[in-house]
Amino acid sequence: MRSRPLLTLRLQTAPTQNLGAGPHGTRVTFPIVGGAFEGDRLRGKVLPGGDDWTVQRSDGVLELDLRATLETDDGALIHMTFEGIRDDAAPGAPYFRTFPRFETAEPRYAFLNRLLAVGVGEIRADGPVHLIEEIL
Amino acid sequence: MDSCLLMTLQVAVVGPQKIGAVPHGSRVTAPIASGHFEGPRLRGKVLPGGGDWTLLRGDGVLELDLRVTLETDDGALIHMASFGLRHGPPEAIAAIARGERVDPARYYFRTTLRFETAHPKYAFLNRLLAVTSGDRRAEGPIYTVDEIL
Repeated sequence: MRSRPLLTLRLQTAPTQNLGAGPHGTRVTFPIVGGAFEGDRLRGKVLPGGDDWTVQRSDGVLELDLRATLETDDGALIHMTFEGIRDDAAPGAPYFRTFPRFETAEPRYAFLNRLLAVGVGEIRADGPVHLIEEIL
Repeated sequence: MDSCLLMTLQVAVVGPQKIGAVPHGSRVTAPIASGHFEGPRLRGKVLPGGGDWTLLRGDGVLELDLRVTLETDDGALIHMASFGLRHGPPEAIAAIARGERVDPARYYFRTTLRFETAHPKYAFLNRLLAVTSGDRRAEGPIYTVDEIL
């Protein structure tokens, strides 16, 4: 698989909402209050209001389901979603990977509508960071 | 991004169902009749009954929403679901529509996929994400499936 960097995304999340044990596992949501993203082709901030709806499965894997709105430094709005998994028990190192997708109406960012991407997530002291690459 | 080959997968589609113009685009459902897959850690066949629910968007991009059941050669059932995009120069897309063989380097055909299985031997599939590169042949697509490391 060939890929190239698209952007690095930093998310600021509010205190989590622990909804408890549901039919699919333990559901915890992470409201997004802000953040920033930067890459060669786009940069800007994450608007408040998105969320990551996570479920801890019975096999220990955390499933992620995120929706957020990005705003570029030149004023375009981009709808971003990702699904992904975080397996802290993976051999060697945690496995935290996502499939981001984008939608925008802004012509100069329309290339985002036509690509698939993969993200590598890391949990840092100041919040999660996702290194997102375009699949070529 | 590091990846490694998980398997190659070929599916045979039969009798596309042209649903037509729907609110999000033009929808065609392609039932899957059969197929096979092979890789270092798993091999077997694709069971009949899956399908690829495709949507041609207004911007010319074809969205692919595939679900199939895989059966390994040692009897495990694996649920596989993928989401993909296919687009390219009009002449390449037209040639594909005519059933001609087109060099897959001429168009973008990528999918992201996930697995679910209850079989312990294949439980590693529950814990990985994969990306495929597709080659659309007249008899059905061939996917090179890479595990994201």
